[in-house]
Amino acid sequence: MSLSKKNKFIITIFLVFSVIGFTIYTYAMRPPTAIENKKIDFSGSSDELLLKIIDHTEEWQDKIVVVSGEVTTIDDKGIMLSSKIYCQLKQVTDLQKINPSNNISIKGRIIGYDDLLEELKLDQCIIQ
Amino acid sequence: MKKIALILFLLISFSTFAQKYFTKTGNTQFKASVEAFEPVEATNNSTTAIININSGEIASLLFVKAFNFRVALMQEHFNENYMDSSTFPKATFKGSISNFNFSNISSTEKKLLLKGILTVRGVEKEIETLATFSKKEDKLLMVTSFGVKPEDFNIKIPKIVSSKIAGTINISLAYEFIKKK
Repeated sequence: MSLSKKNKFIITIFLVFSVIGFTIYTYAMRPPTAIENKKIDFSGSSDELLLKIIDHTEEWQDKIVVVSGEVTTIDDKGIMLSSKIYCQLKQVTDLQKINPSNNISIKGRIIGYDDLLEELKLDQCIIQ
Repeated sequence: MKKIALILFLLISFSTFAQKYFTKTGNTQFKASVEAFEPVEATNNSTTAIININSGEIASLLFVKAFNFRVALMQEHFNENYMDSSTFPKATFKGSISNFNFSNISSTEKKLLLKGILTVRGVEKEIETLATFSKKEDKLLMVTSFGVKPEDFNIKIPKIVSSKIAGTINISLAYEFIKKK
């Protein structure tokens, strides 16, 4: 079977546009980047983090941090680090790996300073 | 000196008598979907809320950036173009529940009137809705929903997308309060 020059041209154009269309669609509909693959903006102890950001928490919204400290309390969705940072876990099954008063390191996203409870809030936390 | 002592005493006694229930991980959801288009909805699982069980007063706070969308681009537009979340990172609600009596709430659902001020993008709006309360083990559960319009908070929806975003946005809450120690 041989195709005319015109038909070959039409098929090529059609294929090119399908590929472009598909690329745009997957780009537009992509899910948010998983925390595991996000770049770390700060890493250190809980006291260091609080000292660094406490006066301008707005600028630190949505920043990814790795923070270490002592587990002070545990509830059914997350943990308190050094009584000042609440880390909401990405997967609650991780809670089984944590014991109170253990020292742990956590990667999470800062969502803001909660002035009702006076604590810094992190979500999507994963244990390092 | 005596006055100060009295004020201090009163403050201390008030703080011990006012029993509070709270949550750090309340679920707040909004839906602005129009049928036949990509669903416009997101969930915030990190809402803080405190309820004073003596007076029925309630205060809650959420961070706009903590709304999770299924599509990254939609989340970006929501934060940057509509909610201006770097300028207005928080949305708050302060209000009270009419005829709130903690001892009357049981495992069966009870509907009570919830009234208050919702602040989004620095704009205040009065909200009045029925909220369902119940107790489950040692938790106090509150479930409610209400509708708001983007223009209530000076949010401009460009013409090109206005057909894909509902005129009334439905906000639903489900909070599980635990006793504050």
